[in-house]
Amino acid sequence: MTLKAEALTLGYRDRVVIRELTLSPPVGKVTSILGPNGCGKSTLLRALARLIRPISGRVTLGGKDIHAEDTRALARRIAILPQAPLAPDGIVVEDLVKRGRTPWRGFLAPWSEADAEACAEALAAVDMRAEARRSLNELSGGQRQRAWLALVLAQKTPLLLLDEPTTWLDLPHQIEVLSLLRRRNREAGTTVISVLHDLNLAARFSDHLILLGPQGVVAEGRPDEVMTAENLQRSFALSARIMPDPVTGAPMIIPL
Amino acid sequence: MRGAIILAAIIALSAALSLTLGEVHLGLDALWQGLWGGDGPGALTIRIIRGPRVAVALGAGAVLGLSGAIFQMLLRNPLAAPDVMGFTAGAGLAVVAALSAGLILPMPLVAAAGGLAAAAVVAVCAYRPGQSVAPLTLVLVGLGVAYTIAALGAFVVTRLPGPEAAEAQRWFAGSLAARDWGHALQVWGIGAVLALALVPQVRALELLDLGSDLAGGLGLRVGRARWLLALTGVLLAAAGVAVAGPIPFVALMAAPLGARLAGARGATGRLAAAAGAGAIITVLADLAARAAIPGLQLPIGIMTGILGAPYLLWRLSREMEKGEL
Repeated sequence: MTLKAEALTLGYRDRVVIRELTLSPPVGKVTSILGPNGCGKSTLLRALARLIRPISGRVTLGGKDIHAEDTRALARRIAILPQAPLAPDGIVVEDLVKRGRTPWRGFLAPWSEADAEACAEALAAVDMRAEARRSLNELSGGQRQRAWLALVLAQKTPLLLLDEPTTWLDLPHQIEVLSLLRRRNREAGTTVISVLHDLNLAARFSDHLILLGPQGVVAEGRPDEVMTAENLQRSFALSARIMPDPVTGAPMIIPL
Repeated sequence: MRGAIILAAIIALSAALSLTLGEVHLGLDALWQGLWGGDGPGALTIRIIRGPRVAVALGAGAVLGLSGAIFQMLLRNPLAAPDVMGFTAGAGLAVVAALSAGLILPMPLVAAAGGLAAAAVVAVCAYRPGQSVAPLTLVLVGLGVAYTIAALGAFVVTRLPGPEAAEAQRWFAGSLAARDWGHALQVWGIGAVLALALVPQVRALELLDLGSDLAGGLGLRVGRARWLLALTGVLLAAAGVAVAGPIPFVALMAAPLGARLAGARGATGRLAAAAGAGAIITVLADLAARAAIPGLQLPIGIMTGILGAPYLLWRLSREMEKGEL
């Protein structure tokens, strides 16, 4: 099922952030959206998740405008983890993850076998089974982020959108989260689309990159195609040299 | 479960105290006779005077507590409540204005119209095109609206002839004097209908607790859910005001007190605990108001004011410490 932005113009009141943007992240791949602050990365992601209405243009899923669809049905196909979700007071990990099942449960429907299975599987995927009964605010930052990930994994959607899922985490935890997402992609075929900040990590953990600049898309494609000195100059106004990293061969950015 | 039992026990105890204590102190035997249809003087006091009063206090307190809990969860701010934000004042003003104009209309409808009008004024004043409104802004705008309405109410009262003015003023402070079983039936009936309307919205409240983006991502129609919850909250508050006047601070204090007493975590538990705590506060405040100073029956609103104002100050200082203000 292809998620597609068609001539998308986004903004707030009189400030246009994204103009006439068309793109379609490849299905079944890990895609990262990169770009300088204020270029509209998060706005774009929120529009892809139908959290904001475009000024013009549209976002389609399988050819149908997502704003014309039932929101609950859509929530079974697209999950989004916002940048700073709010944690209800004193909630335990398990109860948080259970909320990911909302789009699958009818009004007053009892908790089903499938719901329990999805939650258990999500907790296992983020390696948090032992912490299921722990309160969210006694967890470390990395564990907390994994609990939030488990919530959207329990939603069991073929498409997963994440807004800077690695912010506030130290490097090992950033790598942990990104490996987890890639594993989910390889094992369940989930299409993962994230907004990321760290260029090197994005290049290393993504199949596909979308590089935005102040004037819209600068480049799109495989990391080694997108990460060029010229593209980085146009997107970030950053002078850098690109080398293959000695371990994986992914492009590595060395700012000059 | 333990929390529910604790709350129920406190409610029963408060009601029993309020039925037996007062200008005439009654024994447990009179209480017993009164409950089961005996006809001694004590039994009649309970059935005709204190019974309806306590029933109204329980009902009005519960709907106000529920309303406060809805707004505090919806806005994720412990300062949000229909009394702080002027909705109960709006409902109260509408009732006083209707009475002084000699209109014969069902009071709950008048109160609902007044509450909704006040809420609409708050929403319009806080609205900035293209921006989402911060909860604290809503609370502060509501505070301003509440003061404006209080001034309007004072004006209406000065235009009334002597005895009616005193009556209106007393009612405006929040009063449970001279309530009959009809009032009790009214607030319990409307409260039950609105509580039923709230049941299917509990899930929305739980989702909104995760922030509107995640709630939307989980399939909630965020805007619609918010409006429906706010509507239910205003109507609940208005139902309380229609029988008891705009009693201040009950809605503000009920939810945190209920959560503390019952140890409730989930949205359903917190709402139920808030209703119970609202009932407790109202019954006990009414008891204190009429029994604290012998020979002087104060309106309940003065009692909740004495309790509530320091609570509000404490809450404000807490919010300032957290850096939210």
